[in-house]
Amino acid sequence: MELNADSRLPVIEYEGLTPEENMELRRAGVLLQPLEQLKAWARSNSLWPLTFGLACCAIEMMGASASHYDMDRFGIFFRASPRQSDVMIVAGTVTKKMAPLLRRLYEQMADPKWVVAMGVCATAGGPYVRSYSVVKGVDQVVPVDIYIPGCPPSPPALIYGLNLLQEKIRREARMRRERA
Amino acid sequence: MFGFLKGMSVTLSQLPKKKVTLQYPDVRPEWPERFRGVHRFIPELCINCNQCARICPTDCISLGGERDANKKMRIDTFDINFDICILCDLCTEVCPTEAILMSDTFEMAAETRDNFYLDMNWLYENQLRYEQNHPERAQAATAGDDA
Repeated sequence: MELNADSRLPVIEYEGLTPEENMELRRAGVLLQPLEQLKAWARSNSLWPLTFGLACCAIEMMGASASHYDMDRFGIFFRASPRQSDVMIVAGTVTKKMAPLLRRLYEQMADPKWVVAMGVCATAGGPYVRSYSVVKGVDQVVPVDIYIPGCPPSPPALIYGLNLLQEKIRREARMRRERA
Repeated sequence: MFGFLKGMSVTLSQLPKKKVTLQYPDVRPEWPERFRGVHRFIPELCINCNQCARICPTDCISLGGERDANKKMRIDTFDINFDICILCDLCTEVCPTEAILMSDTFEMAAETRDNFYLDMNWLYENQLRYEQNHPERAQAATAGDDA
């Protein structure tokens, strides 16, 4: 089993087509490949995160979008509704009471959607790793694309993680053809 | 009209001011010396006293070692589970030989959690990186030892 990052990306299935047609499209990709890359370029440069601040990490998330670090430079604008957002930055401790709501908000987001686990609480439980009421990592509830450790991560660390996510979106579009 | 001019005068007075935004991916932030980034570790200094592992609030440090031919304690494994490390600096404060210290590495985001299990080699490489980036601080540390 290959363990590099690209081999673990999901295989894209186009809707309304048979598996054979899907295979054919992925192999040829003459028409759709540049379109997919264009879409990925547009998506990666207009990431609209859902404001999902649960704890102190949210303060750093606000700081990252304020003028000193200014995430608007990357087209990252915070939205207050899951219907309008592409990426969910889970910033803070996810308790077991919050987990079903987090899952619901994730399902309310329109596809394509990504999740960033910010801080050690969202990554693995952090200081509450032996607590009875905290979810040990938000990846038990929703699929996570980028993990950002730190308690809390500084705004540059968050921006680094979001740049990594942008790179991942573009790479996924590039890899579709090669992974057919 | 007066209100409009008043508002515009406030807006225009902001124009000549210096821009505060740090252009992060192009310009690196200048962290202060006591910034708490990822740890760095100097294996030669460690005496295996286990104090860092005991004081760690999340028990993310595990270490092991044995006595060598000269009956001196030598470190074999030193792992930090950075998944749950909260960068509280207690391990650095408690270390009697200053073998474990904080660096200014902060770019740790990754697509999997596998990369967050930091072993001794990674931490020592981080120390070398830190010395390379801040030669004056490393020199000050060695000078302090001599004095």
